[in-house]
Amino acid sequence: MANNEGKTISAQNVLLAGLWRENPVLRLLLGMCPTLAVTAAVKPALTMGCSVIFVLICSNIVVSLMRNLLKPHLRILMFTLTIATFVTIADLFLKAFQPDMSEALGPYIPLIIVNCIIICRAEACASKNGLFISIVDAIGMGVGFTLTLCVLAAIRELLATGMIFEIPVLPTAGDSDGWFVPWAAMGMPVGAFVTLGLLLAGVNLITRKGRR
Amino acid sequence: MDKIRFFIRQSWLLIVASLFFGVLLAVLNAQWEPRIKANEIAKFNRRALALVPDANSFEAIGSDITIDLGKGQKTQVQVKKALDADDKLVGWAFTVEGSGFADKIRLVLAVDTKFKKLKGYDVLFSNETPGFGDKIKKDFFKNQFHGAPVKEYTLTKIGDDKAIDDQIVAISGATVSSEAVVKTINTYLIQVQEGLRKQGLIGDGQ
Repeated sequence: MANNEGKTISAQNVLLAGLWRENPVLRLLLGMCPTLAVTAAVKPALTMGCSVIFVLICSNIVVSLMRNLLKPHLRILMFTLTIATFVTIADLFLKAFQPDMSEALGPYIPLIIVNCIIICRAEACASKNGLFISIVDAIGMGVGFTLTLCVLAAIRELLATGMIFEIPVLPTAGDSDGWFVPWAAMGMPVGAFVTLGLLLAGVNLITRKGRR
Repeated sequence: MDKIRFFIRQSWLLIVASLFFGVLLAVLNAQWEPRIKANEIAKFNRRALALVPDANSFEAIGSDITIDLGKGQKTQVQVKKALDADDKLVGWAFTVEGSGFADKIRLVLAVDTKFKKLKGYDVLFSNETPGFGDKIKKDFFKNQFHGAPVKEYTLTKIGDDKAIDDQIVAISGATVSSEAVVKTINTYLIQVQEGLRKQGLIGDGQ
């Protein structure tokens, strides 16, 4: 597979880039708004991740198919139009089939329109590559984003409530033989900043050691 | 003419894509709209049914009641009759909305047939602080409204939270959220009572 600059791109490399080397949250620091806002529990984080995967795949397909017809000065307008359409579809779908999640996520689903990850992939990958590479890139980036959100949400939900995916994991103080005292701050914005900061520090440590 | 040609040459893709996406959204919206509406009604019914267990169905009254929110703002509220299996009135239920600590809060209120006592409230939507403000969903706070007389409620910081009266004891560490619930209920309850009385649905002989 070759892009228009003549460099050969392997699908495996593109897929792995999104998962680790160019992970949108941990390496590129994109999409911070939903990362901080919807990771109080795993369920909303997973729903947000799946919505982003859907929008990424659909927008990358459309942008890749019309890449040769795009006028350079109108391309951002086309990207935004495409992304807004698929975000609206995801929003309507959640309202119809997952009403509780739709309400829990509130404005953060419509806000995917301004999520930098989507427009970044449309500009950096889909508008320069063929359909196959664009889809693989969308899957890699989307899954990388979703996994990071889920890890962050699992840590926060566990420490804030003693549960993961609403399933009790740690016996809460007050129950028989319970010892875990829920750490409410982890469910609040401060918990998101602290957990994300520690996660980023950990990833930086690993990648620095890897480079040496 | 050249300008029009230039305009079309530059923007034809944008125009075609806008039309295509517009039609796509219109079709999907038409397809899913009934389901979205049904979800909203089902959620209201679920919450209201927990407050009025005798009810079998909820039926909206003829006309909505106008609520004065203060500062010149007004809103409409749709009050529903709670009917049992024999279509006999067993209470009233309606949705109220106010400002919470971080976001709006939406509650469903249920009142007895004569609109004298509150049957309670439940939370339809809130985004209050976990561990603090979200305790407005807990029974120990909600139970203070169960059977309380229909009048203006006062929030107190110290008191007996088991006593059923117009004094509501605030949640420790979540005064703003407690105040939001009391203020929202106060804004609507008396005005809805007045509205139903004007329509002749409660009061003398009803």
